[in-house]
Amino acid sequence: MIPTFFGISLIVFIVLNLAPGRPGAEGEAGDVAISARGEQTQDSYRIFREQFDLDKPVLLNTRPWLTTDEVRRDLEVAAELTPASIVLRIAAQERLGDLGAYAVPHLMAVLDAADAAGQLRLRDTAVFFLGPSSPRRLIDPFNPVPGPALRAYNDAVTAERGVLGSLRYGFDAPEVEKRRVIAGWREWYAGAKRRFEYRPFEKLRLLVTDTRFAKYWSNLLRLDFGISLTTRQPVFSTLVSKLKYSMSLSLGSLALAYLLAIPLGVVSAVRKDTRLDRVITVLLFMLHSLPSFFVATLLLLTLSRASSWQALRLFPTGGFQSSNFGELSSWDRLGDVIWHLALPVACLTYGSLAALSRYTRTGLLEVLGADYIRTARAKGLPERIVIGKHALRNSLLPIITLLANLLPAVLGGSVVIEYIFGIPGIGQWTIDSIHGRDYNVIMGVQLVTTVLVLFGMLLADVGYAAADPRIRYR
Amino acid sequence: MAGGAALEAEAEGAGDARSPSYATTVMARFARNRFAMFGGRAVLALVLLATIAPVLALNQPFYWNAGQGPELPWLAALFNRLLFENAIDLLFNLLLVAALPAALVIRIVRRWRPGVSLGRAWLGASALVGALFVCASIEAVGSLKNPLHFTERVVNYRSERERLAVLGVEPSAWFPLVPYSYRETDPQSSLRGPSTEHWLGTDAEGRDVFCRMLYGTRISLTIGLVAVSIYVTIGTILGALAGYFGGWVDNLISRLVEIMITFPSFFLILTLAALIQDRSIFHVMLIIGLTSWTGVARLVRAEFLRQKGLDYVQAALALGLSPRRVIFGHILPNAIAPALVAATFGVATAILTESSLSFLGVGDLSVASWGETLSAGRVQQKAWLVLAPGAAIFFVVTIFNLVGEGVRDALDPKLRR
Repeated sequence: MIPTFFGISLIVFIVLNLAPGRPGAEGEAGDVAISARGEQTQDSYRIFREQFDLDKPVLLNTRPWLTTDEVRRDLEVAAELTPASIVLRIAAQERLGDLGAYAVPHLMAVLDAADAAGQLRLRDTAVFFLGPSSPRRLIDPFNPVPGPALRAYNDAVTAERGVLGSLRYGFDAPEVEKRRVIAGWREWYAGAKRRFEYRPFEKLRLLVTDTRFAKYWSNLLRLDFGISLTTRQPVFSTLVSKLKYSMSLSLGSLALAYLLAIPLGVVSAVRKDTRLDRVITVLLFMLHSLPSFFVATLLLLTLSRASSWQALRLFPTGGFQSSNFGELSSWDRLGDVIWHLALPVACLTYGSLAALSRYTRTGLLEVLGADYIRTARAKGLPERIVIGKHALRNSLLPIITLLANLLPAVLGGSVVIEYIFGIPGIGQWTIDSIHGRDYNVIMGVQLVTTVLVLFGMLLADVGYAAADPRIRYR
Repeated sequence: MAGGAALEAEAEGAGDARSPSYATTVMARFARNRFAMFGGRAVLALVLLATIAPVLALNQPFYWNAGQGPELPWLAALFNRLLFENAIDLLFNLLLVAALPAALVIRIVRRWRPGVSLGRAWLGASALVGALFVCASIEAVGSLKNPLHFTERVVNYRSERERLAVLGVEPSAWFPLVPYSYRETDPQSSLRGPSTEHWLGTDAEGRDVFCRMLYGTRISLTIGLVAVSIYVTIGTILGALAGYFGGWVDNLISRLVEIMITFPSFFLILTLAALIQDRSIFHVMLIIGLTSWTGVARLVRAEFLRQKGLDYVQAALALGLSPRRVIFGHILPNAIAPALVAATFGVATAILTESSLSFLGVGDLSVASWGETLSAGRVQQKAWLVLAPGAAIFFVVTIFNLVGEGVRDALDPKLRR
């Protein structure tokens, strides 16, 4: 299970790194107009990059060994001092933006050298890139009860950000203004210089820790999926609060599926090849082929308050509970939730009925031919006991393992159902996040649902062992 | 889950040495299954329908003459990217222009000279049709005034006719049965119910729903075929390698399969779709293909494990054949049957997945997907917008499931109970 989890996280990591078709360079990193995708996309992409440290090198971080010459070369390309294609220029700008704090001493060096040599355009570009690269990051900004040390640090960072934020100028600003800003940078750097000097051992540590891979794992182990773009709240806590809706839907549907499918399977096995068996088989086959989103939409159109027939307005049009939920007694609350969930659970359930009852039928038919069934009948047990006690218990074993297959399907299916019925669970949230390009949420939901399925599989294994005394885990 | 049932399907090897070949017996068994045959015929009919869609529905007349010389707008429109932006449509149109006449010619040739082999007849027919098409184009270009009408803009011939009628000119025009295009919007007639004018009504943008259903067949069939081909290829190769080599290769691939089945596949598909900017329908196919190969890999691996010990494999190895030839030339043809069963069911699942995606607005919004129309019906609360695409999806999924059951029963009669 642990290796599987490791593999899952690794695959998500790979997806993360292959993904998204980058919405151009950083919002701030240059005057290239890529704003066709809109402000929000840029914003969400920046938050996403920050969370998953997409500006960092993937596996090994060689940036502590950066030389001033390398930075200077990129700066010259970015400042259009050396002839280069637009692609190379954007790449240089992106590289400079990604370097972050590692570039600061070199940017200062280039700034001083260019200032002395009178290369004004180079100097201005260096100042331009100092802006986004110099500030430190807040640590744990969403901690509701920060300790005094943490608060002091974050306050200092915020104050410094305010100062640094004012140290910028447009390329056509008057020279006096530029001089003042540059003096400000020099003053700041004299104080902050030690932050950018690494001891040899520290460099080696940064080589492996300050990478995407390491950061990803540390985020994962701290259950930190970043913040949501729309709510500006941590993804994980929102996810946990939404889990109750999705889980009551999924688990309710799974329970109902087992409750309905096993009797259906037993009936069609006992009445094998009769008309009843055939009707059940054909009916379940058709239900299996009916897309759930079609049925859900249709049910909403006919049986909900949106129905055009007065008599059929039996169910709410959606949601998880009524607006007056807080005033209800606890039994009424349960009834209210069931009333709201009746249609969604029905839609989510009927599709898995076919497979489940088919397996029950097959399993029971296999067992019914066994010797011990004949023995049980021979000693005069009523058919009810023979089927219910002797045969069914043995034939149910494969059904338990099927839980592991059904759980991912039901969880996936609940996305569409939640969307249609407006249940504020994780599925609905995923859809909203896709449309809002809220990548942190999407990645968080992906990881959490996968871990849920993993637990479901574990549960199925344990259940199998409990049901079958022949299996013992050592 | 149907694929899961197929997991039990054990392909009966070519063990029985009776005179008819394995393929013939399987075909015969399939033909005996009434439901499966119905499904098979329905699939063929759908492919035909998808191919001839422009003959049935397009807003360009086959023939147009408003007194300024005859024009053939329909033929020109088939490869006009303003009307058919999508590559899938262009492909089907090519099929329409080339394959159907070719098939006709083959029939005629074979009736004439029954001895001709199919391959040669096909080649000859294609060449003939191609030559005819080229000749017709040149001839048409030479003799008529701009007959193929290769213009940059799409003329709306219906409003053109109305305009001319006001002027008292009656142009001779032969329109297809449904004179609309699936992308042609008409704000004047939005959200109309079914009528003789629009058989299945119109959606919020005034697009003809029947037309969208018809062209949606192309999308669904292509999705099913391409996505399943992708994952059957991946699954077969990985499963074959795992089953044949065993050891660490098997270990690695089996772990990978374990990991992949843990992902709730729909969430994975959604995540991948979300991370792609400007999704096209081909992205959707690729995503479905890349996420659904585990079932096939497991089936093929299990078959390989069983076949590996059989005498014919030992014989092939004793002959000194390379592993590649043993795997793909000798074992694979005997081990592919369960994967084929899974693939047939997989087409239905892929079609369902794509329509769910476009229903959620995560698919390719530029194509005529059934899911998208259904989604519009949900938003607009209009029954005809829900029923038509829902019934279409249900029908296609059902027939592919029927064919799948048929194929499974034909490959393994033991499984029938």
